[in-house]
Amino acid sequence: MSEQKIVTVPEIATIEEIKDEIVDVKTFYLRFDNKEIDGNFTFKSGQFIMCTVFGAGEFAVSLPPSPENDRFHITVRRIGKVTNALHDLQVGDKVGIRGPFGNGFPFEEIKGKNVIYVAGGIGLIPLRSSIVHVLQHRNDFGRILLLYGSRSPQDLMYQYMLEQWQKIEGFETFITVDNGTPEWKGNVGIITTLFDKVEIPVENTVAFVCGPPVMFNAVIKELMQRGIKDDMIISTLERHMKCGVGKCQHCAIGRTLVCTDGPVYTYRQIKTLGEQI
Amino acid sequence: MYLIKKNDVKKIAKALEEKYTLYGPYLDEAFGQCFFDKVSADNIDLNAPIPANPPKHVVFPHLETIMQYKYDKNAKKADIAMVFDDVPKALFGLRSCDLTGLQCIDRFFLGQEFVDEVYRHHRSRMFIVANTCVVPFKQCFCVCTDSGPAAQEGYDLNLTDLGDSYLLEVGSEKGKAFIESFNFPKATQEHVTQKQKLVEKSITMFEDIATESKAWVSRVMNRVTTGFIKEEVWEYIGNQCIECGACSYVCPTCTCFNINDANTIAGNTERLRTWDSCSYEGYSRMAGGHNPRKPIEDRRNKRFFCKLSYSQSKKYLRPGCVGCGRCAWVCPGDIGLPNVVTYIRREIHE
Repeated sequence: MSEQKIVTVPEIATIEEIKDEIVDVKTFYLRFDNKEIDGNFTFKSGQFIMCTVFGAGEFAVSLPPSPENDRFHITVRRIGKVTNALHDLQVGDKVGIRGPFGNGFPFEEIKGKNVIYVAGGIGLIPLRSSIVHVLQHRNDFGRILLLYGSRSPQDLMYQYMLEQWQKIEGFETFITVDNGTPEWKGNVGIITTLFDKVEIPVENTVAFVCGPPVMFNAVIKELMQRGIKDDMIISTLERHMKCGVGKCQHCAIGRTLVCTDGPVYTYRQIKTLGEQI
Repeated sequence: MYLIKKNDVKKIAKALEEKYTLYGPYLDEAFGQCFFDKVSADNIDLNAPIPANPPKHVVFPHLETIMQYKYDKNAKKADIAMVFDDVPKALFGLRSCDLTGLQCIDRFFLGQEFVDEVYRHHRSRMFIVANTCVVPFKQCFCVCTDSGPAAQEGYDLNLTDLGDSYLLEVGSEKGKAFIESFNFPKATQEHVTQKQKLVEKSITMFEDIATESKAWVSRVMNRVTTGFIKEEVWEYIGNQCIECGACSYVCPTCTCFNINDANTIAGNTERLRTWDSCSYEGYSRMAGGHNPRKPIEDRRNKRFFCKLSYSQSKKYLRPGCVGCGRCAWVCPGDIGLPNVVTYIRREIHE
């Protein structure tokens, strides 16, 4: 398979299936109309694409599935003009895709380590491809933990995946919600409350963190206090991206550009960029 | 190298006009202002003051369609095509600061990993006639940024006003081929020396803005790059900014842009590239409302970081400022680049 990168003119893809996730969040399963590209479109976990909703515009979105799957999908929250238009589309409608862009997760460098995922809300979307990859290469890693929190049980992303993951032996999943319901039997409290309840490996451990900025800062503090080094904390950042190729500068953070140098950064890098997350 | 009469300048412009869309400086009498835009050979005014706008918009228009598509909802069919501008353009009477600015944008759009085809199309059929600044303007400080007063490279032809005639230098094969048929008399070494003297004299005529800041730009670059600038200085600069974006729009090297899809009455959609400025609050705001660069000083220092840091300069192979002074001229908050250099210098002194 040769790597195919679509840089300027979007390639047309058909929506094959739409799945409701949580309120205002849907997953769109896509397949390229061009058969040559369909078979050759590969990407690294952690990269992103630019998706055109015809007549509305283009937005940047992470690629949640492992690229080893045949068709790809994107999970999108209805939040702005273009994502609203995307949510109004039906199965069979077309979108335009450019990409993949960005650096991807550094799996080679973290081989043999314990892996902790800390995700908040829809921050699980960009981390999902990493989780899928790590589970597929289970023997390359030590302990694998997922700490996931959302506002309420209804706001938990990928519930069907979570149920599957909880059954996987050696994949330690811990879920919390800020506000419980009578039916909710799990942990209640913000995500940092899990840190006291879970025995977290510190030595030889890498942490993937993704979530809203307020959660990010609290989680980083917890991880650092426990002794996880700043270059072992990995996050994927979001920015207002327009071109994807390092020209428009909307995603500039310090001296780097999220579209070409990111979106995956270590916390050590993030600290030196001199900007907010 | 040729020595031409003053009238011959118009002849050259007229000949270019036949093959190219001509752009040059002209005095808009209604405005009392000089602009650089589409012009006829008769209107070009080489002695007019520095134009209010650099020629950036010729290669990178304020608003430009870069892609067009038509989506048929019922047939579920999309036709997509890139849009390129192949019109040959001649820039006439470009001052060295603006020529350097053009080179910066060239390096940015063409010299990096991704080559911008839309820009390349604008640039590939271009003829450039530069104009040496024998008298600098009040706002200028190109001597501090190594971009003037005389152009070093990047032109097809260069004109220098020697008083009663013009020295015409050839800077490219294209320029050579174009000028050969005119049979202008050759210039001598004496004329070259005359030009050099005029340039040297020009350098001594820069106002305090340049002479005082001279040699400090590099030190300030060092400071900006290493991040040793107190938060208070950025805050002070940020507080002066009213986010009008004018500095970015008149800057010969600012290239930030936005992309937006706009539907036309005809049922097509145009993908538009429009100028943008890092000083706008919405510039880095994301769809969910989170804005990582919320405080104005964060946004303001990003612009000066872009102009004065080594890491950014790698893109341009020189500082991101060409010393034209337009930002100082248009800024309502008095934080054009020379003043920012002064504020940072003041901190170094303290």
